[in-house]
Amino acid sequence: MRTKVILLLASVVACGAWVGAAALEASGSQVVGLRRLTENEYRNSIADILGKQIQIQGTFEPGIRIGGLTAASTAVLSITPAGFESYSKMADSVATQAVSEAHRKRLISCQPKSDKAPDDACASQVLSHYGLQLFRRPLTAEELRSRVSLARTMAKSSGDFYAGLRYGMATLLQSPEFLFRKEIAVPAADKSGYVLDTYSRATRLSYLLWDTTPDAELLKSAESGDLNTPAGLEKQVDRLMASPRLEEGMRAFFTDMLMLETFANVSKDSSFYPKWAGPMAAAAQEETLRSTLDLALRQNGDMRELMVTRKTQINRALASIYGVPFSFNGEWAPHEFGPESGRSGLLTQISMLAMFSHPGRSSPTKRGVAMNEILLCEPTPTPPNNVDFSEVNDTAGPRKTVRERLMAHAADKTCSSCHNAVDPIGLSLEGFDTIGGRRDRENGEMIDVSATLAGKSFHGAEGLGKFLYSSPKFPSCVARKLYSYANGLNSEEVETAAFKGGLDAFQKSGYRLRALVKGLVTDPKFFNASLPEAHAKAE
Amino acid sequence: MKLDRRFLLRGMFHGSATAMMVPFLDCFLDSKGKALAATGQKVPTRFNTFFFGCGLTKQLWVPKTAGQNYETTVQLKPLEAYKAKLNVFSGLRIPFDDNPNYQHWSGVAAAATGISPTKQGQFDSKTIDQQVADVISRGARYKSVAAAASGNAKESYSSLGGLNTLPPETSPLGLYTRLFGPGFQDPNAPNWKPDPSIMVQQSVLSVVADDRKRAMMHLGASDKARMDQYFTSVREVELQMATQLQRPELTAKVAIPSAPEHDLVVNNALPNIRKNVPLMSKLGAIALATDQTRVFNLSISEPGSQIFIPGDSLGYHQSTHEEPIDPILGYQPRVAQYNVHSMELFAMMLKELDRVQEGDGTLLDHSLVFAYTDQSFAKIHAVDGLPILVAGLASGRMKGGFHVAGDNSTVSRVGLTAMKAMGVSVDSWGANSMETKSPFTELLA
Repeated sequence: MRTKVILLLASVVACGAWVGAAALEASGSQVVGLRRLTENEYRNSIADILGKQIQIQGTFEPGIRIGGLTAASTAVLSITPAGFESYSKMADSVATQAVSEAHRKRLISCQPKSDKAPDDACASQVLSHYGLQLFRRPLTAEELRSRVSLARTMAKSSGDFYAGLRYGMATLLQSPEFLFRKEIAVPAADKSGYVLDTYSRATRLSYLLWDTTPDAELLKSAESGDLNTPAGLEKQVDRLMASPRLEEGMRAFFTDMLMLETFANVSKDSSFYPKWAGPMAAAAQEETLRSTLDLALRQNGDMRELMVTRKTQINRALASIYGVPFSFNGEWAPHEFGPESGRSGLLTQISMLAMFSHPGRSSPTKRGVAMNEILLCEPTPTPPNNVDFSEVNDTAGPRKTVRERLMAHAADKTCSSCHNAVDPIGLSLEGFDTIGGRRDRENGEMIDVSATLAGKSFHGAEGLGKFLYSSPKFPSCVARKLYSYANGLNSEEVETAAFKGGLDAFQKSGYRLRALVKGLVTDPKFFNASLPEAHAKAE
Repeated sequence: MKLDRRFLLRGMFHGSATAMMVPFLDCFLDSKGKALAATGQKVPTRFNTFFFGCGLTKQLWVPKTAGQNYETTVQLKPLEAYKAKLNVFSGLRIPFDDNPNYQHWSGVAAAATGISPTKQGQFDSKTIDQQVADVISRGARYKSVAAAASGNAKESYSSLGGLNTLPPETSPLGLYTRLFGPGFQDPNAPNWKPDPSIMVQQSVLSVVADDRKRAMMHLGASDKARMDQYFTSVREVELQMATQLQRPELTAKVAIPSAPEHDLVVNNALPNIRKNVPLMSKLGAIALATDQTRVFNLSISEPGSQIFIPGDSLGYHQSTHEEPIDPILGYQPRVAQYNVHSMELFAMMLKELDRVQEGDGTLLDHSLVFAYTDQSFAKIHAVDGLPILVAGLASGRMKGGFHVAGDNSTVSRVGLTAMKAMGVSVDSWGANSMETKSPFTELLA
């Protein structure tokens, strides 16, 4: 069988990619992961393979949040009929554009014998080239043969070589081999278990570091097997990390870790907050990403600074909520809040304050629950079913501030165990309203922003920031989330040992993000794979 | 962006405004006024779901007497016009078996599958709309269509089981495009013929489907199931294409609306939802009438509804937990107000179905609409006594006008009754303590 595959490939494909394809057929290989591309991964991949000029219009099935990350759901979700219908339409649209007169010169490397007739050699060259890029591995002989054959039939019936090619391309673009990242494991050389094969390594690295499909050089390193050696791996990792595209990869990670997609379902009550208009959510999200990436990558700063820094990036709309003048020409400008502002890093950015509030009212509990999960990897259990929250809402009674009302509610023993861990965080942020504006009073009463957590007392957002800055839980949580994100795992189920390599490097470097990333991906264990249970049975 | 709804409606239904005013789709009537399609086929029975979050207030919605001729209650008042075509179910039980009471979820799953869920956010089987679609949708362009009126892409309770939720359309424009955008062939077209590009796409899909064997190799059990779902989806789109090569049996003489130029604002603010629901319902109704689909699912919110009335700083869900019970009234007044809005939104959907004349009645007469929610008393996450309302006469297979006052039997009996009315051949429905073989026979004609 193996010989046949090689022979077929060698005869049909005049390129040297057969080694990888044959490796796929090697005995003992197992698929250990199947990750549905996210919308961004899909868009970036198409842009890299076929150019940014290609328009992509369609809907993508949403992910769900598992263990604090939507990345984890890519490893468990499939594609429904409505989802496939959309992928299928997008595939046809992308393929049509790719072979159109506007783009063919750029994208189609060979010249058919005639524009009006089939040309198997040219079709085969194009389809195997894009097949390799889209599937992130060479096509098998059969995969290529059926597509060349389709292109031939369609070119013949339409009298148009490029129409035939369009349909061949469309089959690649809606194949599960493109829409899912298949992670394939092979037995380790020392027989100690399974490790990812070389193309799967390239793919995992590329989507983690650049949020896109592996580039030609990475695929080449996979093909030659170079990537399997520590030196080859380090060379590629250094190259990928030296590129400005690392920002794209980390942008996708922080979008997920900081739950910024929550904004998609957050509405604010414009009767209370007329300043909150349509573009505000997008601007707040962008502020968080810009300021985080600036600190983490451009400044190569201590990631713990995210809890305390007064530096950020703002645009005109955000400036109006922050109550600061915006006197720049560009759309975005760096800004440093004064010490009197009470602002403290990520904690007091509009995004975090607004996402975890009610439409017209702040919520110390929501904020506390979110910060615990996002920054400390400590999810809060759901409250009992029959909790009486009436006290919390009774603003007409004697308890004017939410603190007083929460305290009354949390006096209940069943409630207090969680509220004691959650409320102090949220209460210290009460100096900021539901859209992130500064305030001193609630219903006429001065707001008390003091809090005590784990035996330590602090005051306001700055106090909370300092508390989190010195907590070892925050860097550990970043490492846990990044590892889980890279591997599509539920972060709550990941053993601390799994990301120890990354965390050690993170600590040693003074909490530089690059050190964490490099430490994780060059950890010899990073490409270890465990076979899914019931694998043997499934065979 | 501020949009004028009248403007949008004008744009959206330009050219069909007149048709919408007069009874439309009358072309189905034969000389005796029977419900027949132009080809002489019977009008199919359609299935809809309507999901609303956070339930109703027991004291205000449960009628005092059981059976027919019950006195309409405060919270059912918005549905008064459809009373003869509506059945309401109270006092039914939802046992959890050995599973926890998943907040805002156990009730949803029990109503939609008859199974107490084993995981938060997941159904343990196909939901009722998909079970029905498996049987009735052959021949329609889409097996089912879902829409979310608050614009949340996760707000769909139409599922193939587990994590396979069928994504909803999240705006009127999105829904329009799916139904009547590219790929739609007007069944009225005088020179209707199969679109040859569909046959080409069938060849493309056949190449994709041929990779199945290799794609399924070397997978673990759960990934194998996911890959299998992918190929099932391919198969379904192939069937969809085969259907499109046939002229729809229902050749409606209804002008298909032209595309809206702008979308509406879609979010959780009640005034926006009140604009979106009638539009989405109307598009759904036209899609049903022209056999683009036979199953339409509309949700107005997620369970634990995030809907809010401007000026209410808490919103619906938070109010259910935090608003004190008024000692004199005995219930939460603001929550009760939100409950009524849910029923008004439901009435808007029924209105769109009932205004479409086809054959010997209306689209609503030839449909069932299964309306359900997540909690019976949201304040304490209670599910026993979950409000369920079933509208429509299922082409005469369902009687209307009843209040079924539960005798402590399980909520799954409603699902079984609906399945029977839809002509699905099942003897039992649900699982474990909720498995039932007893439909409400008094409702079945």
